[in-house]
Amino acid sequence: MLNIDKLFQVAKEKGIEDIQVFLSNSTNLSVEIFEGEVDKYEIADNSSLTVKGIFNGKMGVYSTEVMEDELIEEIVDTIIASAKVIDSLDDAIIYEGDEHYEEVEGLYNEELSQIDVTKKIEMLKELDGKFHNYDKRVKNVETSYTETINSILLQNSKGLKLHNKANASYIVGQVIVADDKDQRTGFDVKITNDFNDYNTDELVETITSNALNSLGAEPVPSNNYEIVFSGLSLATLFSAFQNVFSAQAVQKGISLLKGKLGETVGSELINIVDDPLMKKSASSRSFDDEGVATKFKYLVEKGTLKTYLHNLVTAKKDGVKSTGNGFGGGIRSVNLKVEPGTSSFEEIMASVKDGIYITNVQGAHAGANPVSGDFSLQAAGYYVVDGKIVSPVALITVAGNFLQMLKDVVMVGDEAKMTYYGITCPSVKVKSMMVSGK
Amino acid sequence: MLLEKKLIEDLLDAGLSRGADFAEVFVEETDSTLLQSLSGRLEKANSSKLFGVGIRLAKKFQTVYGYTNSQNPADLLKLAEDLSKSFNDDKLTKRTPLMELEVGPRHNAEIKPQDVPLTEKVAYMKKAYKAASEYDEVIQQVIINLLDNTQNVLIANSEGRFVTETRYRVRITVGAVAAKDGVMQTGGVAPGSGKGYEYLFNEIDIEEYGKEAGRIAVTMLNAEECPSGVMPVVIHNGFGGVIFHEACGHPLEATSVAKNASVFCNKMGTKVASDILTAIDDGTLENRWGSANYDDEGYPQQRRVLIEKGILKSYMVDKINGRRMNAAPTGSSRRQNYKFAPTSRMSNTYIDNGESTFDEIIAATEYGLFAAKLGGGSVNPGNGDFNFAVMEGYMIRDGKIAEPVRGASLVGNGGNILYKIDMIANNLDSARGMCGSASGSIPADVGQPTLRVTGITVGGKRGA
Repeated sequence: MLNIDKLFQVAKEKGIEDIQVFLSNSTNLSVEIFEGEVDKYEIADNSSLTVKGIFNGKMGVYSTEVMEDELIEEIVDTIIASAKVIDSLDDAIIYEGDEHYEEVEGLYNEELSQIDVTKKIEMLKELDGKFHNYDKRVKNVETSYTETINSILLQNSKGLKLHNKANASYIVGQVIVADDKDQRTGFDVKITNDFNDYNTDELVETITSNALNSLGAEPVPSNNYEIVFSGLSLATLFSAFQNVFSAQAVQKGISLLKGKLGETVGSELINIVDDPLMKKSASSRSFDDEGVATKFKYLVEKGTLKTYLHNLVTAKKDGVKSTGNGFGGGIRSVNLKVEPGTSSFEEIMASVKDGIYITNVQGAHAGANPVSGDFSLQAAGYYVVDGKIVSPVALITVAGNFLQMLKDVVMVGDEAKMTYYGITCPSVKVKSMMVSGK
Repeated sequence: MLLEKKLIEDLLDAGLSRGADFAEVFVEETDSTLLQSLSGRLEKANSSKLFGVGIRLAKKFQTVYGYTNSQNPADLLKLAEDLSKSFNDDKLTKRTPLMELEVGPRHNAEIKPQDVPLTEKVAYMKKAYKAASEYDEVIQQVIINLLDNTQNVLIANSEGRFVTETRYRVRITVGAVAAKDGVMQTGGVAPGSGKGYEYLFNEIDIEEYGKEAGRIAVTMLNAEECPSGVMPVVIHNGFGGVIFHEACGHPLEATSVAKNASVFCNKMGTKVASDILTAIDDGTLENRWGSANYDDEGYPQQRRVLIEKGILKSYMVDKINGRRMNAAPTGSSRRQNYKFAPTSRMSNTYIDNGESTFDEIIAATEYGLFAAKLGGGSVNPGNGDFNFAVMEGYMIRDGKIAEPVRGASLVGNGGNILYKIDMIANNLDSARGMCGSASGSIPADVGQPTLRVTGITVGGKRGA
């Protein structure tokens, strides 16, 4: 391990004004089952050190996985050379720290890592078996279990020293189902750091029934339809558009929320929060990568844009306090959540006269433009007439604009689902959107 | 040398000690630089060094993989021993002595990233910025990323393989944002190469690329919303090849085929595409974005004819999936870095030239969409459904390219789109992409001549 005191000392001697290190260590276990047998087994131990230093008021950054003391000179020299070419007007800030940091409960669950790996493999084999026995149309099953432990240390020359340790595990299940005419897939992920949360029956039921129900899916005629987004499909859309809340994007003129603070950006039913202290989320954190204490906040409250997400630099520019969202050199939310509303899923579906219940959207990394807000995404789900599911739908696109969609939300479901995007969303009903099909 | 030969031999022996029939050591040291400028000012200068060792053991179909970034021999030996405990068989496989070290001779860099001072890299970015921002007054923001990457790998296995190579990548991305009346549209270019800085400095005209980014953004700002419905689509050359990459390339990877999870399973030697279609995956092209001397299992990269005149000729196969399929590896095994076990992946994949010309294809199309530039996309290998975004599109009316349209995406099914290609031009071109899959994100070239698909679902915001 590289000697941090020595690094700080060499940096100071060479004229670096302030310096900060971010040391991350993760261990990883991953098991994959295919046709009842362990197909892949993976173990890993990985550390990385990111060093940020201010020289002549500019920030240079060096990350390394080699932690030998011989590298100290190269780290410091590279940081200085990098700082010298930066001509950004932004301030470079290393933070002295906050007075108080909230504890996040249950981030590290000792019990999980103590459960023997054979037990975890047994559970996977059981899951695999249940998938195969569920229906004879289940043709192909892959399941995996992954567990990580991550610890970080943040230390800087202004005397700040913070630690965080978290563990998480997740199960992935995917199936291919087929009848003599069609072939469809089902997929879901369950994330938790409490082994007792796993319910293999429930996972098999959700994934397989959805896949089987979608057999024979076809496009609907191109038209405007009422749209119900499932929690997962809404979270997929939010994952493509979450950067619009970043003050960095706003200040650089590449967010569609620029100039909209205090304005209506969505229906009154829309409440969007970032909850960094959320329980049972492995991404929860009491401080961000700049050492700022994180906090719960409304981004959108009853349709009104309340705040952008800030790091130290964007906050100083806007004359506000950092919201504690400085991560990985940029800005991101910790646990983005669209708050549940008051309508039950049954009520939402019953209200649909001629619409599509979208369970899944694809291609969000390509078919969604985070600058303009326009999207046109591949979607699948069910055709709904007079409150009843009529037939499965696939290979359609649903097109619109992210802000227009938020404004057109007419019902919000009362149950929110934490998804593998790290985004939690309820189902919502949108008045009308363009669907392209046959 | 990244690790001593003696230590590598010890790691392989430890790996085989409890009945594994294959052991492999992958050592990597990678230096990268990422520079980012916004509005012409350099905002980020990040350097990074990656180092790690990945050890993979297998017995028949079962694989175990472990990685660490410790360089300490005791830690590495412990990792190999821990992994070996997954097996329990008295029948031991004998290790073949390591052959003489083979150093990858091709795909070199003349101007190596480490020899170019940061100041020169930054000056180059400013040239791109100037060209893009001055293209039109509605250009409001220009975002430029310059990346370079020098990856040193050593790959050795229990069958005697013992190779090293150095792989270079340089790339610049220029993104222009045009805005008017509260509407914003973007245009981008992203040239790159498996060479050194000679590619950027001497072989391409960065100012032309900068202007091109500006041109696309302005064109799309002035475009109408794309209509929706099923229509003929002419997909232009170059990045248009992403359609084949997503819809057919991924399902031809052994990762899908071996587990019976691909629409192309059991189709070898049969007709899977229209007669005019030939498609190739070639990892040997000199200094190309997706090329290398060796794949990440240490076997020479190859040229693979995937489909010839509509007939399926080859899958892309890695060692372990090859065992399941009873097929020989095709030098296709790749990984992002040592944090991933390798698996079958594409390299430089393209549809070969046809016999039509670009002008003939447009003239033969009465009504449809001309997808001049495509964005990324994705595919579900389980059933072949795919989608991708159109970054620059035009309507075709009466055999002529007409008004620009924006916001379109194309969806279809890989199993049947190949039959719907009815015209292929003779203007093959390629473009750079980053491909994400089981073994991480890797550089991959896509390419094709201009071609026409008789009918495909176009999703846009405007009605049918």
